[in-house]
Amino acid sequence: MSTERTTELAPRKIFTIVEETLLEGGRPVDPVARVAIVGAVFPNPWAGQGFVEDLLPGINAVASDLGALLAPRVMAALDAPLEAYGKAAIIGLNGEVEHGSGIIHNLRFGDHFRNAANATTLLPAVEKRGPAGISFDIPLKHFTDMKIRSHHQTVEVRVADAPHADEILIALAGANRGRPQQRLAELGQD
Amino acid sequence: MTPPPTTVDLFARSTLHDIGDIARAIGLRRLSTQIEEAPGPHGGTTHRAAAIAVIRNPWTGTGTDHDLAPEGERIAPVLAKLLTDRLLDALGGAEAVAAFGKAALVGTHGELEHAAALIHTPYFGNLVREALEGTSILCFADGRAEPGELLRVPLWHKTAAATRDYYQTLDVALPDAPHADEIVVVAAASTGPRPHARIGDRATDRPITSEILKEITL
Repeated sequence: MSTERTTELAPRKIFTIVEETLLEGGRPVDPVARVAIVGAVFPNPWAGQGFVEDLLPGINAVASDLGALLAPRVMAALDAPLEAYGKAAIIGLNGEVEHGSGIIHNLRFGDHFRNAANATTLLPAVEKRGPAGISFDIPLKHFTDMKIRSHHQTVEVRVADAPHADEILIALAGANRGRPQQRLAELGQD
Repeated sequence: MTPPPTTVDLFARSTLHDIGDIARAIGLRRLSTQIEEAPGPHGGTTHRAAAIAVIRNPWTGTGTDHDLAPEGERIAPVLAKLLTDRLLDALGGAEAVAAFGKAALVGTHGELEHAAALIHTPYFGNLVREALEGTSILCFADGRAEPGELLRVPLWHKTAAATRDYYQTLDVALPDAPHADEIVVVAAASTGPRPHARIGDRATDRPITSEILKEITL
């Protein structure tokens, strides 16, 4: 990891959450359903600049570094082969939703995760503006075929004290399987 | 049919994986581990982690005269093992741990005493202290709540509880837990003090009483 990149990005906080679901509907979940979420909270690159028409320079300043920071961490935290994934951009109250969207809807960000996970599909996302501590739900879908219904799932996240009004929170989420006790017909089989 | 008894070797076994047998035996629905990394003293990084277990309340439907000891003695040591294994994995071992704390939240069909029975006995506290290599009493929070609570878990130094720099609190979000017939049990730890701690300590305080202060000029 280059120190120059870390300096440029300057996260205030990095968080990791690992959920292991062992029982659902009163029955064992086998294999145990693991979901890992890793995120970074950092200054909004456009804070204090008013309406910025061209977001590309700000996106280029952070998007690839963020992907490179978060992707290996979420794979390590999941500690199992990844089958579903998603992402989140939560923008502090002084920013635009477009700021977060610009950073995550961008191959320079997402390809780090796709490559680390041998994935091919687009990452489903939540983009939302809100106060520190806001609750947000990250959607996850299958990593090679977004139509696989068993893997459509959501994980709820809430990060204390983030994002502040001039910050952005960006997160990646990965799961080792579909929903616990998934038993719906496949798409086209209804 | 009664399932065969499950034996958990608390000394040797890692509970980081392959814990389906434990989950069934104690009604463990979910484990969650939350870690945050933030700037620490001297340009370093402080890691704070909470490990959270959501289990079925073994005492749902029992009265206030029910003896809580048998289930407490069976379940609390296993929870201590599950949670401290995750804290040690997240923080890099007991040597890295500086401060610790614990918490329990019981669902609305349970008693506060049910939460207490899982964290306020040696069957939990002694084992958490041992695993994290501390000597202090564990500070704590407990309560009864609906799912979705934000729990603030207090921490203090694991061997010098009165060391003020280490008084800190970890915010733990609890989506979808505890259900009415569940209990949430939390163990938490930090590798360092509060960010930018600078309010002195008992060793540096001058004696303060209302007699000494007499009046404050504002």
